[in-house]
Amino acid sequence: MRIRLRALAAVGAMLPLIMGADAALAQKSGGILKVYHRDNPPSASIHEEATNSTVMPFMNVYNNLVIFDQTVARQSMDTIIPDLGESWSWNDDKTELTFKLREGVTWHDGEPFTAEDVKCTWDLILGKKEGARLRKNPRRIWYHNLEEVTTNGDHEATFVLKRPQPSFIALLASGYSPVYPCHVSPADMRTKPVGTGPFKFVEFKQNEYIKLEKNEDYWDEGKPYLDGIEFTIISSRSTRVLGFINGEFDLTYSTDITIPLLKDVNNQAPDAVCSLVPTNVSRNLIVNSDAPPFDDPNIRKAMMLTIDRQAFIDILSEGKSDIGGVMLPPPEGLWGMPPEMLETVPGYGKDIEKNREEGRKLMEEAGYGPDKRLPVKVSTRNIEIYRDPAVILIDHLKHIYIDGELEVVETPLWHAKVARKDYMVGMNLTGVGVDDPDVVFYENFACDSERNYTGYCNKELEELFDKQSAETDMEARKKLVWEIDKKLQEDGARPIIWHERAATCHQPWVKDYTVAENSSYNGFRWEHVWLDK
Amino acid sequence: MPRPENNPGAMAIDHDVELARAGANVTGWASGLLFQVRRHPLGAFGAVIVVVFVLAAAFAPWIAPLDPLATNPRASLAPPGSEYFLGADFMGRDMYSRIIYGARISLAVGLASTFLGCLFGIALGLMSGFLLGWVDLAIQRIIDIMQALPLLVMALVMAASLGPSLENTIIAISIPVIPHVARVIRSNTLALREMPFVEAARAQGMSEVRIAVRHVMPNTIAPVIVLATAQLGSAILTEASLSFLGLGVPEPHPSWGRMLSESAAEYVRTAPWLVIFPGLAISLAVFGTNLLGDALRDILDPRERS
Amino acid sequence: MVSYIIRRFLLMALTLFGMSVLIFVLLRLVPGNIVDLLFDSAGFVNPADKALLEEELGLDRPIIVQYFDWITGLMQGDLGYSYVSEQPVWTEIAPRIPITAKLAVLALVFSIIFGVPLGVISAVRQNTMTDYILRVVSLSGLSLPSFWLGLIILMLFVQWFGYMPIYDRAPESFWIELGMYMIPAAAVGFRSSALVMRLTRSSMLEVMRQDYIRTARSKGASERSVNYHHALRNALLPVVTIIGIEAAFLIGGLIVTETVFNIPGVARFLVEAIRWRDYPIVQNLVMLIAVVVVFTNFIVDLLYAALDPRIKYSE
Repeated sequence: MRIRLRALAAVGAMLPLIMGADAALAQKSGGILKVYHRDNPPSASIHEEATNSTVMPFMNVYNNLVIFDQTVARQSMDTIIPDLGESWSWNDDKTELTFKLREGVTWHDGEPFTAEDVKCTWDLILGKKEGARLRKNPRRIWYHNLEEVTTNGDHEATFVLKRPQPSFIALLASGYSPVYPCHVSPADMRTKPVGTGPFKFVEFKQNEYIKLEKNEDYWDEGKPYLDGIEFTIISSRSTRVLGFINGEFDLTYSTDITIPLLKDVNNQAPDAVCSLVPTNVSRNLIVNSDAPPFDDPNIRKAMMLTIDRQAFIDILSEGKSDIGGVMLPPPEGLWGMPPEMLETVPGYGKDIEKNREEGRKLMEEAGYGPDKRLPVKVSTRNIEIYRDPAVILIDHLKHIYIDGELEVVETPLWHAKVARKDYMVGMNLTGVGVDDPDVVFYENFACDSERNYTGYCNKELEELFDKQSAETDMEARKKLVWEIDKKLQEDGARPIIWHERAATCHQPWVKDYTVAENSSYNGFRWEHVWLDK
Repeated sequence: MPRPENNPGAMAIDHDVELARAGANVTGWASGLLFQVRRHPLGAFGAVIVVVFVLAAAFAPWIAPLDPLATNPRASLAPPGSEYFLGADFMGRDMYSRIIYGARISLAVGLASTFLGCLFGIALGLMSGFLLGWVDLAIQRIIDIMQALPLLVMALVMAASLGPSLENTIIAISIPVIPHVARVIRSNTLALREMPFVEAARAQGMSEVRIAVRHVMPNTIAPVIVLATAQLGSAILTEASLSFLGLGVPEPHPSWGRMLSESAAEYVRTAPWLVIFPGLAISLAVFGTNLLGDALRDILDPRERS
Repeated sequence: MVSYIIRRFLLMALTLFGMSVLIFVLLRLVPGNIVDLLFDSAGFVNPADKALLEEELGLDRPIIVQYFDWITGLMQGDLGYSYVSEQPVWTEIAPRIPITAKLAVLALVFSIIFGVPLGVISAVRQNTMTDYILRVVSLSGLSLPSFWLGLIILMLFVQWFGYMPIYDRAPESFWIELGMYMIPAAAVGFRSSALVMRLTRSSMLEVMRQDYIRTARSKGASERSVNYHHALRNALLPVVTIIGIEAAFLIGGLIVTETVFNIPGVARFLVEAIRWRDYPIVQNLVMLIAVVVVFTNFIVDLLYAALDPRIKYSE
């Protein structure tokens, strides 16, 4: 089911028209962009966090070396444009990526930006920087193939890789990859971030607001257009959406408008421009295959068979989300399995009753039946986006003689519990930073990844990870990726239930705002956004 | 409600005598009941509400038309109508059935926490008022500490430190009840221990513990009933508030407060039945216990009588 | 009198000390700590990094040492640093105090404006239809969850005025601020006014039964004069004192209301800090609330004693 929002389709069709009109219309400078934020960001330091609560407000403070073009919705290798790295080149064996850096750029505190800052940033991530360390380092695994960063003078930096990795540059284009100043400690970056970006950090008042102001000395002459950006933190969703409907905010939090809410927004604020896009956040199951009952592959398979993915989507997003494997499904997703292939994976077949019949047979073989039901604990976090699907899962498990009991785990205990393997099956959520197999596979399924919660480890498959990563022929790589994805689903490594869609809305007077459609982590740099008021 | 500690001894009058005087020519419990119903129509109305909720809770599986946990993709946000009497939530769960089952949670939490609170409150109050000396002093200080925080703040801190579960919510809510009960019992005990019949028992050589349990405790039942009814409503409200803040009874229990929290609030305008009905259920249940509590106080505490 | 005040002061100190121990221990009973939460936002837990972070925050030390640290700091006016914002606790708490205080005062004003007159009317017209209606209304005030009332008010405001009375930016002037707080204060004040009304009514009724009222009546004073001059004045004493106590307890009601209306006061901040296991914020905030409650009780008792000659300074 891939029903696109009618409004979006209409905008798409009119795109050339609008662009023509916009070209004639000069961008206006000035005004404060008012955005609501859904929760209190844990800190301002993007490199220490793995949530877009931090990326969305603070991406504007920084520059990357390269960045996904912020005016293109579907981000890919082809939409990467220069940021602090003016130009780049690969060496012949594709293991060295050299950037020529922009000159005359200064940090918000007046210090000059040099190649040393680039080296410092990635040394910090690799844990090589003397006298400073990130207290949390969630993207260490992204750079498992990075040997070191070398500099040549003040304006050239080279990333030396262990083996060829064409997608490496896509990692650098993510919102998760800002360049940090060498002279500011990681602790200060958490509370008073200093960057080179289009907006300067002014104030972050816990649970209240984040204020950014225009960087008058921004290297891109004439930009940004906005005088500043204000994020107001409102934890109650109904309250903040009402605020948007009433025009108190110019822009919603990224993909905060769920599908049921979208109807509401469309009715109450018909002028608002909403883009319904995949969030590239999947809801999935983590299954403990080391302990009973799911150490029995047949019971695991039975569970896969009883899941009615479409029912989850119908209930939680009125049918408007997508079924897929670990990679975001096409067309927005660049690497997802084609539907024909997907249907051949167990449990993905359309005939749910037949699947469940098969599941019951498997359960009966394992010694269960209508009179001997299997009690199972379904663990999840005490957050509604986790809880709700868990409730549906329990309902589906009933069909194969499994009585699920919901175990709600408080946030601070969740990761520790999962690490202890103190669960049977858990409802989980996985956000993907960049729609690229190098991010998804290594982060979630590599044996030594810290974010591989289930500890899934398949050396054979890991070799395939490396093989696809080094592959320079994109079509051949795609085939490999599909094969890996299918295998991951068959192994029940982290069974994917669905890929969520949600909308980001802005008021009609917000111009040139593009909502990224294949990741929720890379589309928040707004030097080109302006207000037509 | 005046804080009981401000009028120590006020409830120490022998309620049996007062009751007899109030219904002087009443014989048998049925006509006695009828007499009170006529005297306190509002209280009787409250009693009816409470009984309805108790029955709903007790016979939930027979009354509720559907499984309160069963989801239905086709009924997501179904408006109130013939199929779903009070509508369905966004997971297609029947609101009517959930509210009926919710009565179980609310009443279970309310009654259990009130009972627990009263139990410990009575024990502490009796000990304090009867043993006096350093025991009294120590208990008074503990009560002071427990009362140094507003009820919801205390419950919140307790709920957070115990973690979310049905049992822990009950414990968290029962703790702020203890000092209230203990204070009333203490002041009653202080008055009662000087009564002639206690002196008489003492003269007969009865042990202090025995006197406390046999003679003093039964005479504190009336104020406890009054207090417990008042606490019941407040306990139901506290549970709803805690669940609303996400620190109370966890899913999948259909708690009224939880139904009103985050997810339901999202649909304030598109599906107002998700907000209106659980809120009404809470209000009505608390209203009923409050009406009943008022009437009970009028009946059992003669000072309030006109 | 002086010895009574000294005694009360010592007891207060003891209570606050007990509260400090209680809250400190309770917080450490909570499974999971700030470090777990900090790692949660990074999406993983690295045991080595976690241990380093615990050391950095001093969480690896014995609980008694941690408690002693906190208390000695508190004595010197140093509340420590928030785990989450890494800012001094006082800078985090201080700007939120006046917000909650203003809300509480406003709610209190509401409760008095409505509660006292209605309570008097209800008492004077005891057992009439007016009395019944007022009693039912006041009881319903005690029965409605304040967050539900808040949600319904929000709903109606949007429906009728297309405007939502939530806090979205710092108010520019006193009047805007007053307007902004009016509605949440009313949502909380509704409950308090119900309470005040019931109290006024029962207090009035009690006074009206006293001998001197009967005397006044028998001397031929008009019914109106008896009711309003003699009875009301004497009935207000307990009412005023209890209103004082209620002021401190309003903090409880404000927790949910501040959440619904997105008001950045201390009450909502407490919930957020509890969720975040931000011990320095929670323990200091709880102590602050306890100090307010205990002191209000103390002052109310003093006032009560000063105003009512029947109360003696001993227990």
